[in-house]
Amino acid sequence: MSSKIVVCAGSGGVGKTTCAAALGVRAAQLGRRVLVLTVDPARRLATALGLDLSDPNDREVKLQGVSGKMSAAVIDSKHVFDTFIRRHSNQAELVARIMKNRLYQQLSTTLSGSQEFTAVERLLEAVESNQYDLIILDTPPTKHAVDFFTAPQRINALFQDSITRWFMAPGSGLGGGIFSGLISRGTKLALKSLETLTGGPFIEELVDFFAAIRSVQKVLQERSSRAYDLLRNPDTRFIVVTSFDQAKLLEACYLKDELKRLGFRFEAVVINRAFPIGLSAEAETHPSPSSDSNSVALDKVRKFYKSFKEYYAFRYSLYEDFVKNVGSEVVMVRVPEYQKDIYGTEDLVSLATLLGSPSADKAEGMK
Amino acid sequence: MPQNQARDEANVVTAGASLRPFNDWCGNLRIVFVTGKGGVGKSLISAAIATEQAKLGKRVLLAEIGDTSYFKDFWRLPSVSYQPMRLDRGFDFALWNGETALREYVLHYLKVERLFELFFENKVMRSLINVAPGLNEIAILGKITSGIRKAGPPLNYDLIVVDCYATGHALSLLRTPKGMMNAIQMGPMGNQSRDIEAVLVNPDLVGYLAVTLLEEMPVVETIDFSRQLKAELGIAPVVIANKVLSSGLSESDIAELKSHPRGGVSDFVKYVEAINSRQSDFIRQLAAAGYQAKRIPLIFSNDADRLVEETGEALRHG
Repeated sequence: MSSKIVVCAGSGGVGKTTCAAALGVRAAQLGRRVLVLTVDPARRLATALGLDLSDPNDREVKLQGVSGKMSAAVIDSKHVFDTFIRRHSNQAELVARIMKNRLYQQLSTTLSGSQEFTAVERLLEAVESNQYDLIILDTPPTKHAVDFFTAPQRINALFQDSITRWFMAPGSGLGGGIFSGLISRGTKLALKSLETLTGGPFIEELVDFFAAIRSVQKVLQERSSRAYDLLRNPDTRFIVVTSFDQAKLLEACYLKDELKRLGFRFEAVVINRAFPIGLSAEAETHPSPSSDSNSVALDKVRKFYKSFKEYYAFRYSLYEDFVKNVGSEVVMVRVPEYQKDIYGTEDLVSLATLLGSPSADKAEGMK
Repeated sequence: MPQNQARDEANVVTAGASLRPFNDWCGNLRIVFVTGKGGVGKSLISAAIATEQAKLGKRVLLAEIGDTSYFKDFWRLPSVSYQPMRLDRGFDFALWNGETALREYVLHYLKVERLFELFFENKVMRSLINVAPGLNEIAILGKITSGIRKAGPPLNYDLIVVDCYATGHALSLLRTPKGMMNAIQMGPMGNQSRDIEAVLVNPDLVGYLAVTLLEEMPVVETIDFSRQLKAELGIAPVVIANKVLSSGLSESDIAELKSHPRGGVSDFVKYVEAINSRQSDFIRQLAAAGYQAKRIPLIFSNDADRLVEETGEALRHG
């Protein structure tokens, strides 16, 4: 059995995790066995899903009256990385060495591309578990959403053979290989400069770090490219989540173009908080003038309402531009700005219903 | 320890001081880091602070962190650069990323151009710089604090407003010097990390702002971030509640309008009432955690300069 995959992409703060959870609820309503992989969920959302933030395993989400089964898990980047290294290094000594490396201990979460790598590695593990019809992946927060999709290049740079190779002394251990015969005179000089600037102790830790990580380099690159092949599979769909903000909409357009360029199957846009619930998005007529205008409060509210409506009318014109730009082949769902935050399962069910309009179901690859 | 105690007392003042005029809080701070959950308006608040502080006659730099610039589109700037450029708004602007900061640092210290080229033109070296854990972070923080530490090329500003990453990423940036210090005690890297850390934990030099919306997720994230910052750097941030719906309607106005519905605005009155009550809940939640949030109204404009100007005014008076 193979799992279908839905990826929720978008920049930080737009509601990706909530959307991913709501799509999960919808899939369970439609009878699927679904897993939602979340990154850094808000605490109350995690509680609603029955997740313990310190437990990296899949947990079943209790939902009333659904024919399918929903599970959720939090991607703990450090845990996934540590597990990966333990599992795939065939030399126990090297595992111990990398775990002991101070740079790794202190700073492994700042490794470029490591969050993205752990997200797709976790996805791959879920696919390989053969337990799910559908896996919904919430992507890690990056300042620019497209960073997630260029991550393999960065993670590959991390384990570029040439880097790790210089640090390997032929047959010797820590630090010995730094100026080994394999490297060019130029590189030697450059390294010597780095040492002058940062000092011997830093270089030693760095050497140790790269030497140790070399043991998992090959499998890491393999897994990384397998995961990205999976993302390019036609059964994998991408949903771009954006908030209703000029800059975020621009970024969503850019992300859409990049996804297409990189060969991913871009399918739907969710515009979160497009308009306040109870007030429609489209411009309305202004409140009718009334003869009863000797009320100060009424004047105040009218004036406020007028600026409020003008503001939303302008925003609506941004939306229209966005629609033109994105094109008609893409499913577009607008989610209103609720007057409360969405975190309980009932809230997710109502959001799920909204997302579950026929077109949105199609987007999710569930029909 | 008396020194810590004094610092704690100073922090109590700082944490509770957000209802003071904002310019007083800025006082003689040399660096202000602005962070918050994604999408809450960090950049706008940063720009407003830079504008207001420049009006006081200070030499101000607005520094954006990262590879691409929000302000380039926001202000429709023809170009942005690593080297500070003068904006016709009374302050300078720069876009800083780790790699360029590191290049500058290396050039400054290696002095020999030929060696510098070797350093950066070398492919393997370039990859190494990008992937070495913590190096980019140290380079960025090194740049931000270089004026105070008198290290590297001169950077003469009274105040640097840093439009920083979102909370989670900002916290891992701010943690790096301590992490590096713990990993590397000796040599230039250890020394430099210690020097940077000493600046970051000095409440006379550095202030932190956490921008939030009056909504569940940002508020929870802000409280979490503030606790962690206090625990790790010993400084509590000032909290700014952005985009607060400010109708100017009092409770009695709303009561009157509800008792005599007319003029086609009754749904809107209910909407305003619901939002008011939700916003008050979150103000209370922040207060219970020890943060008197400064409120910035939702400004009904999409014009960059007007947004900055009105946000600045709200900061000044509020």
